[in-house]
Amino acid sequence: MIKIYNIYLSFDDKVIFKNFSAKISKNEHVCFSGQSGKGKSTLLKIIQAYVIPQNGEIKINGIALTPENVKYLRGLMSYVPQNVNLPVENLTDLISLIGAKNYEKNIFELLEFLKISHKEALKPFDKLSGGEKQRIIIACCLSLNKQIILMDEPTSGLDNESLNIIIDLVKNLKNKTIVSVSHNPIWLKSCDKVIEL
Amino acid sequence: MNHGAQDISIISLAIGFLILLIPIFILIHFKIKIIKDLAISLLRMTLQLSLVGIYLEVIFRINNLWINLVWIIAMILVTAWTSIKRVKLNFKKYFFPISLAVLISLFITDLFFIGTIIRPTYLFDARYLIPISGMILGNSLNHNIVGMSTYLDAFRNKKELYYFILTNSGSRKLALEPFIREAIIKALNPLIAGMSVMGLISLPGMMTGQILGGSSPATAIKYQIMIMIAIFTGCFFSLILSLVFANKRLFDKFGNLSHN
Repeated sequence: MIKIYNIYLSFDDKVIFKNFSAKISKNEHVCFSGQSGKGKSTLLKIIQAYVIPQNGEIKINGIALTPENVKYLRGLMSYVPQNVNLPVENLTDLISLIGAKNYEKNIFELLEFLKISHKEALKPFDKLSGGEKQRIIIACCLSLNKQIILMDEPTSGLDNESLNIIIDLVKNLKNKTIVSVSHNPIWLKSCDKVIEL
Repeated sequence: MNHGAQDISIISLAIGFLILLIPIFILIHFKIKIIKDLAISLLRMTLQLSLVGIYLEVIFRINNLWINLVWIIAMILVTAWTSIKRVKLNFKKYFFPISLAVLISLFITDLFFIGTIIRPTYLFDARYLIPISGMILGNSLNHNIVGMSTYLDAFRNKKELYYFILTNSGSRKLALEPFIREAIIKALNPLIAGMSVMGLISLPGMMTGQILGGSSPATAIKYQIMIMIAIFTGCFFSLILSLVFANKRLFDKFGNLSHN
């Protein structure tokens, strides 16, 4: 369970969050939606402690997100970034970067589900489309089998077919708490709860 | 064959400056406004080298262990100070770790190359210790600046990659690896490229100096090869240690790049 209590965050006099609270229950899929600039992606960074609010508290499974607990709590999470153009050459590089060598079997199984062949997945990233890279990154992140999955605009750059495949995959995940950020209506419909920012 | 080079009189040296009148005339003709910079640089170079000449004469004559060590420490502190200033880091926070990194790397390289390869009768002989340390430190300074700047710029420009690796791998070591790799490649590539064409495109200054100073080309070449390996090793250790020591202060308690 993720609890966000009364956070206050401002950047250069611009208030992003003022007394904002939210609760994400265990094994629930909550999506934060809203116009750009409302702090949707920032919220995912706050949950990972990459952005620290000036006030307020974050608790994950009842443990406060403090410097002492940050390593353990980040270890429970997996993060799918918005920008899929990471400076990475190919899947092999990606696997080695995140230390996922032991999860290779999982990754290829997920990729098969996401309609990406073994041969296709091993192509250099600059030869793949944005949607293909998105699916590869999602497969790598989900293969890690973490308890909490954070997804920043997971549908950007996807056609409807790929979008539906990813929705199916996410719906089939068991015992996962998912926090996503999106304004795609099809994605929003697939979530348990939508919080408008 | 070990007779000193033909000395240049002060008048001859002054005449040497006269050839600069040709480029200065062309610069004036084409209204290229670098004459003031050129004049300042020439003046500074002449003054600085004259002073170096005077104090090296004194230091070499006295050749005292403590004076030599104080001199080396001063060179280390200037190297660390210049690196921090050029990379625009907080002086108070980084002066100690960077100085320590430079000190350790110089200690290892000097001990190995002077102590086991050259093996002078007196280990702390100013004639070997000061010029060799100077060459290692001068190069370490340049490559440290490139490496540290690359490292910090990479963090500023590729934050997403750092977050992505740190959360998904749960390992700070893995999250730092691509950034350290990039810094080392950018910093050491010019040195590696320079070594590969040494003797083909350029004759190294130290070797030329030794030959002019009366050493045989064979001795000069052996020294040049050794000094290039010493410079590479010194630069490598200095950069790696600077990154490792600075890392402890570059990140806040949450593992995020700190703002200063």
